[in-house]
Amino acid sequence: MRSPRVIWTLARGTLLEALRNRAFLGLTLASIAFLAFSLVVSQLSIRAQSVRVAEDFGFFTISLFAVAVGVIIGVILVYKEVAVKTIYAILPKPMHRWEFVVGKYLGLTLLLAIEVAVLGVAWVLVLWLREAPLTVELAKGLYLILLEACLVTSAAVLFSAFTSPVFSGIFALGIFTIGRVLYLVDELLAARRGLFVDAPWLRPIGEAMTVVFPDLGVFNLSRQVLFGVETPMAYLGAATGYALAWIAVYLALGALLFQRRDFI
Amino acid sequence: MNPSAGPVIEVRDLHKVFPVGFRRRKVYAVRGISFEVRPGDIFGFLGPNGAGKTTSIKVLTGLIRPSRGQVRLFGRDVEDLHVRQRLGFLPEQPYFYDYLTPVELLDHVGRLFGLSAGLRKERTDQLLAAVGLTEARSRTLRKFSKGMLQRVGIAQALLNDPDLVILDEPLTGLDPIGRKEIMDLVLSLKERGKTVFFSSHILSDIERVCDRVAILRQGSLVAHGTLDELLTREGQLIEVEFSLPGGLPPDALGLTFEALTRVGSHFRAQVDDARVERSLMQLLSAGARILSLVRRRETLEDLFLREAIRRDDAEATPAPATEAP
Repeated sequence: MRSPRVIWTLARGTLLEALRNRAFLGLTLASIAFLAFSLVVSQLSIRAQSVRVAEDFGFFTISLFAVAVGVIIGVILVYKEVAVKTIYAILPKPMHRWEFVVGKYLGLTLLLAIEVAVLGVAWVLVLWLREAPLTVELAKGLYLILLEACLVTSAAVLFSAFTSPVFSGIFALGIFTIGRVLYLVDELLAARRGLFVDAPWLRPIGEAMTVVFPDLGVFNLSRQVLFGVETPMAYLGAATGYALAWIAVYLALGALLFQRRDFI
Repeated sequence: MNPSAGPVIEVRDLHKVFPVGFRRRKVYAVRGISFEVRPGDIFGFLGPNGAGKTTSIKVLTGLIRPSRGQVRLFGRDVEDLHVRQRLGFLPEQPYFYDYLTPVELLDHVGRLFGLSAGLRKERTDQLLAAVGLTEARSRTLRKFSKGMLQRVGIAQALLNDPDLVILDEPLTGLDPIGRKEIMDLVLSLKERGKTVFFSSHILSDIERVCDRVAILRQGSLVAHGTLDELLTREGQLIEVEFSLPGGLPPDALGLTFEALTRVGSHFRAQVDDARVERSLMQLLSAGARILSLVRRRETLEDLFLREAIRRDDAEATPAPATEAP
């Protein structure tokens, strides 16, 4: 059981380092402040809408900050390993390079789980103050937000394996942004009128986008929660499988690039 | 370790070429070096900046892959996990996770080697004491000086009680006391039958502890062997100290020496054993006062400078790394 031990050790070290990183503390405090701000915003809306505003604001804030933590901390930690050469002392230890990539990533997912849990508690507190109903659907929504952040973070780890932190961050946030609006591309491709009918030469690009980028709309339950629609457990299972498949692809590519790299 | 066993390190015709710039111009960092390190040896790896020492060490530790040639540790590929289990490595100018303490770092490294909790704690305490960091054990590494990081680096390199220790510039950033402590530690490793491979610019320290050395220049091996083999090859030197009337420089009186230094108001020159009488006669004829005449063994520094000068003379365009043809 050498591999699981090595991966767990690397994950544990990454988590410890990340939890003490000031960037993580700063982002977490900023997101809690943002959630608290939703109390003010919902106060300004009409009474019937105030709960919806608090719920919607919470989904948006937690999702945005979870992705930001994953991308920023992920990019910083992986980049720093190479830039300040901490990796020189670690890689010659008894481990495969792919184990290093997976261990680093697992540490980041643990960090994201802590981040989402902390923000989830803060959000529940906000909703309780707004006298909103606290249902199991909120927990399902938080779970999917965590899956989405894990997926985008795996893309950040992939990009960190071969490019600078700025480009890694931009590329990963690009995947997040495109992934969030990909359902619109899907709708346009299925429509009998619109962009892809008016400009058919764009259709292959649209079709390629649906293959190359993950559809992050899968992980957004805000509408269902707002309208009180129950999300079946089967949907959560399918979303989990979808996220794991994309994460596996990104990590495999990251590990492959890492494997071929010279640490000069 | 059994000295009759095969070599601990085998390097055969190692080349490393880096593509540089937009046009992927080829630059040779290492060009066809071969050497062996035997079990239980302390092996010094020398060379000026840019000679290819760190590149070679990175190939030995699997951080970069050779362009051509073969490198084996304990008779196996460098990426073999059994090899890595027996390897300790200190990189040049080591840097570790900012927010961990030395105890946490060593615990982390111990876990990677699969050491039990008891053994991790025991070795952590032992090694922190050996490198003089017991007092700083609870401080985060971001608050450590360069010399302290070097000491932590040495501790993590020894945590698995390795059979082979590779140290890249282990004396950098250390004061004379720290250097002595680390060299004593290296000698104690040899006493325990370990093999130590290290690079350093501090030649006097290498000379004090090394059994064998290799000198690298511009990616090629220019000398390789035991200190006795290398330092007696060119004969012994006579060092003469003298002063000249009126404080004139020797060249003003038509006197020339290969290695001449001014020491205050007088001069120190090195002359070959075979030319000593002739040189003394010239000095006395010029009215020089001979202050001392000492026979001394060639040092590693002499050898190093001699090889450097020889290569500079032989090659018209010296450069840290040379472009491929």
